[in-house]
Amino acid sequence: MWYYRSPTIVFGEDSLSFLNSVKSRRCLIVSDRNLEKAGIVDNIKELLPEDCRTMIFSSIDQEPTFSQMTSAMDSIMKFKPDHIVAVGGGSVIDTAKVILFRYARPDLDFYDLTPLEYLGIKEAAKLIAIPTTSGTGSECSWAAVVSDEREKRKNELASSEILPDYAILDPAVVTGLPRKQTVSTAVDAMTHAIEAYVSTWRNFYSDALAEKALELITGNIAEVLHDPGDIQARNSVHIGASMAGSSFSNSQIGLAHALGHALGAIFKVPHGTSVGLFLPAVVEFNSTVVHDRYDRLNSIFPESMRDKTLAGSLRKIFATMGQPVHISDAGISKDSYNAAKPSLEKLAMESTGLVANPRESESADIHMLLEEVMG
Amino acid sequence: MPVFPSNDWVNSFVEEINRNRKYEDTAKDWEGDFNFVVEKDQKFHETVYIYLDLYHGKCRRGGLYAAGEAPKAAFYYSGPYQNWVRLINGEFDPLKAVLVGKFKLKGSMMKIMRYTAAAKELVRTANLVDTQFE
Repeated sequence: MWYYRSPTIVFGEDSLSFLNSVKSRRCLIVSDRNLEKAGIVDNIKELLPEDCRTMIFSSIDQEPTFSQMTSAMDSIMKFKPDHIVAVGGGSVIDTAKVILFRYARPDLDFYDLTPLEYLGIKEAAKLIAIPTTSGTGSECSWAAVVSDEREKRKNELASSEILPDYAILDPAVVTGLPRKQTVSTAVDAMTHAIEAYVSTWRNFYSDALAEKALELITGNIAEVLHDPGDIQARNSVHIGASMAGSSFSNSQIGLAHALGHALGAIFKVPHGTSVGLFLPAVVEFNSTVVHDRYDRLNSIFPESMRDKTLAGSLRKIFATMGQPVHISDAGISKDSYNAAKPSLEKLAMESTGLVANPRESESADIHMLLEEVMG
Repeated sequence: MPVFPSNDWVNSFVEEINRNRKYEDTAKDWEGDFNFVVEKDQKFHETVYIYLDLYHGKCRRGGLYAAGEAPKAAFYYSGPYQNWVRLINGEFDPLKAVLVGKFKLKGSMMKIMRYTAAAKELVRTANLVDTQFE
């Protein structure tokens, strides 16, 4: 027994116009300062029905903590939104999920956001996610990553009740995405698809989504990087990233995420960059138990990018994209990395990413993988 | 071959936990006790508790108790007898079984979320006991 969960997905050009049909009287728009400055939040406001009152919360930093995410709760409780629209990258969408949780259940602490109990969140407000990056998959997932600055840790909180009701995938909002973020988020999406495809919790739905996601991303990312304004290529990568998100959300992430979250928590490396850094090494590590499935994924890569093994193909495509495969390429010195290794190992061992990774991993394996990316 | 659940079975289970290197590795910092609650159902007519005192990757003490007599524990993993049979036979993933409502897990979520691999390995160790069912 298992579930396939997904928001209603509105996709393609002009899909933002869906907002006009939303039955909302009081809408909280969650975004970040840059998108607000760029006028995207104003666009969203204009697209909502005329009689809909709005409140904007945009004080969100990269990798926000629980206290930052919930810093406007008093005003939000007074405003009483019936809809929450999240416009932004993964941090923004995750913040909207945490706000929804806190709005519905102010009596609970953040660790009470768990898939193990019914929380009664869904009745409080509808959640609409509009991703402005193509990678995190947060619009299709029931997880939220919450940073803990004091403990230098990224917590992976989850509940099916924070899965967005709608995900709007409009390629127009990603055409202006800078190259660095385009690369980092695409690598994140590829990692989602590959880890979901070999997860011990995989299933027919997650498999189908992972295969198509990888085809759309690897087949179009070169064109997106060559011509960022190519709306068809952007649309393909955007939808592929969302499919990858849905794939991992209905199976599980794996060891590259366990290691990537640890690295990101300590060195503030962008999420996609940090998980991608470990992905080829993790693929090689897992190959002893899932090489058939990796071969299948490798066959999906465009011929020009395909190597003999999936790990080889990943290194090849990452090289063309500018994704680092060694820590020095990610701006981390060997000395500081070596000093942080015990903490990295501990954080990775405590990650939920270990739970459904296809190959069992012990501290010694984590240690070996941390060594692998030293370069 | 010990019958599940019985004192003999709990003793074998404790031995398996203390032999399990993977559990020791993932739970090396863990401090906290567990009650595995085998709830009565159509096949098994009395709820019993399997108490485990777990400390730094080892089980210091284990015992079988009737409902109401078990020591209080920081964590409770509960399910009906027939689901325990399927779990011990390896038909259920211990965590997925909670997510689909076959088992319930109670205790500090803050703590358990950092030890999901250890918790999974602990429950999975029950697979390693050569078990006879009533």
